[in-house]
Amino acid sequence: MDSISRRSILAGGAAIGAAAGLGVAPARAQAWPNRPITMVCPWGAGGGTDQTARIVASILERDLKQPVSVVNRTGGSGVVGHSAIATAAPDGYTIGMITVEITMMHHQGLTDLNPTSYTPLALMNEDPPGVQVPGNSPYKTVKELADAIKAAPAGKFKASGTGQGGIWHLALIGWLGAMGLKPDHVAWVPSNGAAPAMQDLAAGGIDLVTCSVPEARAMIDAGKARSLAIMADQRNPQFKDVPTLNESLGIKYSVGAWRGIAAPKGLPADIQARFVAALKSAYESKEFQDFMAARGFGTKFADPAGFAGFMANGDKMMAEAMKAAGLAKKA
Amino acid sequence: MRISDRISGVFLALLGAAAFWGGSRLPPVPGQQVGPSAFPMVVGAGLVIVGILIALHIGRSFEEQAEAELAEHSQPDPEAELYEKRRQWLALLPPCLLVFYYLVSERLGFIITAAIMIGVLAWAFNARRRLILPVALGGAVFIHLVFFKVLRVPLAPGLLPMPW
Amino acid sequence: MVMALDVLVAILASAVYGLVVGSLPGLSATMATALLVPVTFYLSPIAAVATIITASAMAIFSGDIPGCLMRIPGTPASAAYTDEAYAMTKKGQAETALGICLWFSALGGIAGTLSLILMAPALAEVALSFSTFEYFWLAILGLMCATLVARTSPIKAIAAMLLGLLISCIGIENPAGTPRFTFGSTDLLGGIEVIPALVGVFALAEVMRALTQKDIPPIPHRRLGSILKGQWALTKAYPKQQVRGNIVGIIIGVLPGAGADMAAWVSYAMAKRFSKEPEKFGTGHPEGLIEAGASNNASLASGWVPSLLFAIPGDTITAIAIGVLYMKGLNPGPTLFTEKASSMYALYIIFILANIIMIPLGIMMIRASSHILRVPRALVMPVILVFCAVGSFATGGNNLFAVLVVAAFGLVGFTMEKNGYPVAAMVLGIVMGTMVEQSFVTSLIKSDGSILPFLSRPISAILALCTFIALFWPLFAWLRRYKASFDAASPAR
Repeated sequence: MDSISRRSILAGGAAIGAAAGLGVAPARAQAWPNRPITMVCPWGAGGGTDQTARIVASILERDLKQPVSVVNRTGGSGVVGHSAIATAAPDGYTIGMITVEITMMHHQGLTDLNPTSYTPLALMNEDPPGVQVPGNSPYKTVKELADAIKAAPAGKFKASGTGQGGIWHLALIGWLGAMGLKPDHVAWVPSNGAAPAMQDLAAGGIDLVTCSVPEARAMIDAGKARSLAIMADQRNPQFKDVPTLNESLGIKYSVGAWRGIAAPKGLPADIQARFVAALKSAYESKEFQDFMAARGFGTKFADPAGFAGFMANGDKMMAEAMKAAGLAKKA
Repeated sequence: MRISDRISGVFLALLGAAAFWGGSRLPPVPGQQVGPSAFPMVVGAGLVIVGILIALHIGRSFEEQAEAELAEHSQPDPEAELYEKRRQWLALLPPCLLVFYYLVSERLGFIITAAIMIGVLAWAFNARRRLILPVALGGAVFIHLVFFKVLRVPLAPGLLPMPW
Repeated sequence: MVMALDVLVAILASAVYGLVVGSLPGLSATMATALLVPVTFYLSPIAAVATIITASAMAIFSGDIPGCLMRIPGTPASAAYTDEAYAMTKKGQAETALGICLWFSALGGIAGTLSLILMAPALAEVALSFSTFEYFWLAILGLMCATLVARTSPIKAIAAMLLGLLISCIGIENPAGTPRFTFGSTDLLGGIEVIPALVGVFALAEVMRALTQKDIPPIPHRRLGSILKGQWALTKAYPKQQVRGNIVGIIIGVLPGAGADMAAWVSYAMAKRFSKEPEKFGTGHPEGLIEAGASNNASLASGWVPSLLFAIPGDTITAIAIGVLYMKGLNPGPTLFTEKASSMYALYIIFILANIIMIPLGIMMIRASSHILRVPRALVMPVILVFCAVGSFATGGNNLFAVLVVAAFGLVGFTMEKNGYPVAAMVLGIVMGTMVEQSFVTSLIKSDGSILPFLSRPISAILALCTFIALFWPLFAWLRRYKASFDAASPAR
């Protein structure tokens, strides 16, 4: 009796599942989305990526008339979440927020996933790194700092901002490379994120921090640190006084931590188009812009083609920086 | 699951040796004086030393004193001790049920998996027979309601999706 | 900030939860806290911290109830004076015994809070100038403390701590950014998360233990008189005991790894040693009860001092709390007291509030205890098991791997405890491993590879000295004891 009823439940469940699958396939074009959408966030709740994902999800929800729930899938330094997005069914019901790490992790041999493992939908945000020095530092401009770094012996200057091989470390390596210096000319002090690095900067333990300007904001506002430049094409409208590297040094070097929305590979073109339209209007909405501005997050949009090109370019830059620093596995 | 100090000490020493060996094979990192290998090697070496000390029963006197102090505060109950000895392997059941959850919850869904877990454990605790089924189902549905509905934890629907 | 509705509801709900869980034998305050974490995940930062503070304080008190009525301590922190309290009950003074537990727990909690209010900001001023050199010694010192205070062989405590450090090596979150001991597993890349490990060690292991032990007999129904009657007289009669209990509790709370249970044992022993009538101890004498009850709740609040300042847990409960603080963006550190001072004030108020509402809620709990203690554990434990699974899944980033971590650590915790390895020392190792390594490696980078600053900076040197004393103390103690036992055994006497 027991086994029979269990088997029939199993069969019934399978039948429902099959029916649902069949029902979705032909009706997809008109009916999508007809059930809740999951947006995977590879980083923990409360962080910058999570906040960005949640605001995008809440705006998408209104546009698509279906709940969009953000699911944090953390672990494996982002690998778990990124692979959850890539390996989900490409039915338009699972999308995710991918981050700059996707252009870095595969060079380290941590995963096989790379930017081409996804159907790109839209780039939503980019935060370029700044060059921060202590408030009482003798260097008033980034040029003075750059000259001092060049003149100093290797390892004399200490920098921090994130862990070894993290995005801000690679940003520093790229900048040093653009000045014709070796990656270890400035010693990297690994830290657990930007906040402790900024604290150590204020306490005089290190000479510069290459985290994003919003991350350094609290210390800058308190007068304990100054931002000398940002590694971007243009100035940040919120921090108008901070020049770009190009302006002050004539170095065309830009890099940044970015976040974008992507779907598993093989997403039908019609669904992709619908998503892109929704994401574009979400990006342009006042709500999104205000939210990002309030948190000091940079905004940058790119459509699928632009996003793919952006990622390919970033991937190449990261490969070079990581190879130069001896961080890449396949040297 | 009382293991003699000899065995647990040797186990720790072997674990330490493995950590030392594994740590020593990690590549150095440019720009850092102490690479990723140093810490595991130090810890591993420490484990080897204390493992050997434990296997040699060094420091056992402290434990005996603590046990005596504890015994002073509780009355011996031979019946309870026998009971404990007879049931000691049953202690493996809860972790096994969690492994079961890991393996099948995606496929069966939360409600079915959780109900099985609660039912089996309640049975192992000698719960009254007629209480097992209602508690298993009620407990599973209640936890699902709290975590899925209120706290929005994405529990797997599996074969038996809930209407909320 | 405290007066927000969600915070007040959180305090009240977690108070009831803490009282109930603490009163159930076998369910410790640490377990109550560990199981709360998934819920705190969805609360505002202040509400999240409030639930932990309130639930742990309530659980420590309410662990006294079954100890007093049935001679079965609800939490290990009550074990030290269970006999005494039960003896009072046998003499027909159950009300007074429970009243002492409640009244002096609340007073002890408030004293502990005062120590937190006075000590922490002052220490924060000093700590602001700490660099990684000082943090390295602090971390090492914390680890040494954990092994010193263990109520078992210090060698086994060191082994447990080293095991914890080894576990903290797993993953890529190390200063070198190199994957270690991941065996090619993606899940291990991120390392062993602290919360699932703690749920395994404290909650699952408890379920496992319960499964092998006999069920407790149902509590006899008993009519209780006024709970608070006579407490004021006792407060006036034993002021020295109370203050001493508070101070000892505060000191033990600050020491990493030693928590409420240690405070109760030490204070009870002290009360006996300094008492004018030590012969009355064990026969239902309030003196030891007062001192120990005042002590364990005081340790609870002061345990937050090193946790908030240095991310070094003062006990197992704050080891969990640190995880929650990070999760909520209230990263522990001296800047917490300068940049987020208002959050800290809120925290103080919550502590005081929790200890005040403990009195009315505690009285209700005592009156309801005969009903609550009758809930069969055969029904409670299975639900806790599922809680372990779902809770760790939710806090571990909705990753089923966390459930496996709970299972593994349940097994480890259960086996360790059965064989005299202190679990708290391992937990401290897991929590602080990264800090030890990170501060050492970054210090070396900053000093261009020189070890000198570890010893030449003034505060660093003091901390180093303390560490070496702590390091050689067990050896010294062992030698002395060895000699003593040798003398005792020699036929010359």
